[in-house]
Amino acid sequence: MSTTTTPARKELTAEQIWTVQPGERRSVGVIHIVITALLIGIGFVVGSFGSISFPLGFGVNFFWTGIAVQQVGSIWFGLWGVIAGTIFPFFSNAIAGTPFYISAAYIPANFVQAFLPAWAFRYFKADPRLRSGRDYFILLIAMIVSSAFGALWSPLVVLRGFGLLTTESVPLFVWGWFGGNVVAGIVFNFILLKALSGVVIRTPAFVKRWWA
Amino acid sequence: MNKTMLGYVPKESPIYAVHPFVKLYFLLIVSLFPMFVAAPEWNFLLLVFILALMVISRVDIRIVRIYIPVAISMGSIILISYTILGGRHPEFQVIFNLFGLPIYWERVRDAMVVYFRILPMIATMVFFLSTSRERDIIVAMRTIRLPFVVTYVFAMALRSAGMVLEDFQIVRQAEQARGFDPTGKPLTYKIRKYIMYMIPLFALSLRRSEEFTNALVARGYAFTGEASHVKRADYVLTHYTFKTHDAIFTTLITLAFIALLIARYGLHYFSLDHSWFIQWLHAVLS
Amino acid sequence: MSAIIEIRDYTWQYLNTEKPALEAINVDIYEGEFVGIIGPNGAGKTTLALSMDGLIPGQYHGVKQGTVKVMGKEVDDYPRGQLQRQVGVVFSDPEAQFTAMTVEDELVFGLENQGLSITEIHERLEWVTELTALKPLLPKPPYEISGGQKQRVALAAVLAMMPKVMVLDEPTSMLDPISRKRIFEVLGRLKREQHNTVIVIEHSLENLIPLADCMILLSEGKVALQAATREFFQRIAFLLEKGVYPPEAMQFFYHLMQNGWYNGDLPLTLDEAAAKLETILMPHHSTR
Repeated sequence: MSTTTTPARKELTAEQIWTVQPGERRSVGVIHIVITALLIGIGFVVGSFGSISFPLGFGVNFFWTGIAVQQVGSIWFGLWGVIAGTIFPFFSNAIAGTPFYISAAYIPANFVQAFLPAWAFRYFKADPRLRSGRDYFILLIAMIVSSAFGALWSPLVVLRGFGLLTTESVPLFVWGWFGGNVVAGIVFNFILLKALSGVVIRTPAFVKRWWA
Repeated sequence: MNKTMLGYVPKESPIYAVHPFVKLYFLLIVSLFPMFVAAPEWNFLLLVFILALMVISRVDIRIVRIYIPVAISMGSIILISYTILGGRHPEFQVIFNLFGLPIYWERVRDAMVVYFRILPMIATMVFFLSTSRERDIIVAMRTIRLPFVVTYVFAMALRSAGMVLEDFQIVRQAEQARGFDPTGKPLTYKIRKYIMYMIPLFALSLRRSEEFTNALVARGYAFTGEASHVKRADYVLTHYTFKTHDAIFTTLITLAFIALLIARYGLHYFSLDHSWFIQWLHAVLS
Repeated sequence: MSAIIEIRDYTWQYLNTEKPALEAINVDIYEGEFVGIIGPNGAGKTTLALSMDGLIPGQYHGVKQGTVKVMGKEVDDYPRGQLQRQVGVVFSDPEAQFTAMTVEDELVFGLENQGLSITEIHERLEWVTELTALKPLLPKPPYEISGGQKQRVALAAVLAMMPKVMVLDEPTSMLDPISRKRIFEVLGRLKREQHNTVIVIEHSLENLIPLADCMILLSEGKVALQAATREFFQRIAFLLEKGVYPPEAMQFFYHLMQNGWYNGDLPLTLDEAAAKLETILMPHHSTR
C-alpha cells in the first residue's frame, strides 16, 4: 500500500488518475486478490440474471448485464478486473446449463471484452468519472470493438466449432451477442462509472497501471 | 443433508465415498465423450447412465426438472438454426415444406446429432454441480495442485456470490416494505430499477473488500513476499483419502475414453452410418 | 520490563480527511496485560487497533507520524505477513472475517499461513476448540451458525495462531447478552490460563472491568486517561464528561458519594458493590 504526503482532498485530473505520482508507492496486495474474488461473485450473480432473463441460447443473451461487471471492473481494477471478467461468465454459464467445454471456449471472447476497455482508458488517459465527451466516446468505442470481437468469436468459433449452429444461422447469434452486450453496456457502464468512480479511485484497490 | 452447488444431497449418499478429484475427472473426461459419438442413441444412453448415477447418488431429481426448460430451449434453437435458418441447399433431400421454406433431411439429422451430443454434456455438468459441495470443488482443485491463491479466490467468489444475493434480497425486501411493486410496470422501468440495485451492490462489495482484506491480512495471509512462500499444509486434504475404489473409478473413466477413441477412429463405431436411430428417423420422415 | 507494544507520539491521518484520527498517542502495553480501551464513537479506537497490527499503514492510505513498535520493532519494518502472526485482531463483524467453507477451515487458515505441519495444526485445533467449545460446529459453514457462535469462531481462528498479542475490536457489539458473556468467559480463561497480552476495545464495561488490568480512554483521537482499572474508574466524573458511562453499580455509588452518603473507593463490579452496600447497611452483620 502507499503513503502520500498530502492528506488534503484534491480534485484529480484524468492524467493524475492513471499516473503514479512521485513518491507514491503502489504494490500488489491481498486487496487485489479479494477484489478479484468479489468481482467474480458479483459477476456471477449479475451475469446469471442476464442469462436467465434474456437468453438466446448457449450463454448468448439479448441483454447481458454481466458486461457491466466485466468492463467497469477491469477499468477500475486493471488485470484483476480482467481476470474476474474472464472467469465469472464461465461459472454463470455453467450454472445456466452450458456444457463445460463450451463455457471454457468462451474465455478468449470474455478476456477481450474485459481487457479492451481497461486498455483504452489507460492508453488514452480517459477519466473513469466520465467528465468529458471524449471519455464517453472512448468508452463507447471500446465497448463496441470488444463486443464485436466477442460476437465474432463466440458464435463463429465456439458455437459453429461445436456444431451447435449452422453457418447460415451464425449472423443471428453474432448480432444477438453484439447487441446484447452493447445495449446492456450502454445502460449500465456509463451510470456505474459516473456514480462510483469518484469513490473507487481513492480506494487502495484502485489499479493505476495493470497490477497495482 | 449436505448442501451442494445445486441443492442438497443426503449425508448417506454413496457419492461422498468418492474422492472429489474423481468427480472433477469424471466431469472433464465424460464431457468429451459426446464429441466423439455421432450416433444419437449412444449419446442418449450416456444421458440415461448419468441420470442413473444421479439417482444412485440420491440427488433430488427435481433439480433435473429445473434444466428441462434449458434443454428444450437449446433443442429448439438448434432445430431452428439447422432448419428454418439453415439456408437453401439444393443438394439436400427435402422432406417437407414449412410456409414455403424447405426442410431438409440432412439438416434435421444434423440437428438431432448435435442435440443428443449436448444433452449428456449438460447432464454431466448438472451431475457434477449437484453432487459437489463447495469444499469438494476446492479439494479437487487442491488435489490437482492448482495454486492455493486460485482455489482461495474461487472459494471467496462463491461466498461473495452468496452475499451479493443476500444483499439483493434485502434491498428488494426493503423496497417492498415501502410499498414498491414492479408488477405491470414496463420493461424500461424494471431495467431502470435494476440499475438502481447495481450501484449499492457494487458499493457494498467495495466496502466488503476492505473488511475481507483486513481479515485475511490479520490471519497472516500474504500474496507477495516471504510469507507467501510458506509451504501450506493443506489440512483440508486430510479429510479426503484417495482410496482403491477412487483409483478404480479413475482408471475405468480413462479406459472408457481410450476405448471410445479406438472404437470411433479405429473401428468406425458410433458413426451415423451405423446409427439405427438415424435410419429409423429417416424412414419415418421420408 | 520493556513494553510489548510501545507507541510514541503517534499521529495518523487518513488520506482526504480534515484532521488526524489519532493524535500524539503515547501508550505502553506490557506482556501479559489485559488492557481495555474505551471511548465514544469516532474516538479512534479502531484506528488504534489497526495500528497495533500493522494494518495501518499497511492497508490504508494516510500520513503517519511517530512510532508504533511491537516487540521492539517498528510495525513498518516487519516483512509482509510477519507481524500479523504475532498480533492477532478480531473485528466486530464476524461475517466480514469469514472466508472459508467450514468452521474447521476457518480455524485452520491462519495456521496454514504460519506454515505449521498437519500434526501441529491438529493439536492447535484440538486445543482451541476445547477452549472455545466449538467442536460440534467444525463441519458447519460459518454463515449458518448464530452470531455468538460466529464471533467465537472468529476469536478461535485468531487464538489458534497463538499470537503474542490479541487485539479485539468491539468483539461483542453485535451479540446478545448471553453470547457476549460467553465471549468474555473465553477471554477470562485466556487471561487465567494462557496469560496472553489482550487488548479489548469494548462498550460493555460490566464484562470488561473484571478482566482488565488497566484501561485507556480515547477521546477525539487523543488519550484522555490511562491508568490501572481501579484508579481509572475513580475518575468517574471525568469519564461521564467524556461520554463514557461506567456500570450502573458504580454510578449508583457515585450518586451516593455526590450526596455525601458514601466516602470510599467506587466498586468496580456488582459483587463489589453488593459487598460495600452490605458493609454500609449492616456493618455488624456483614458476612464479608
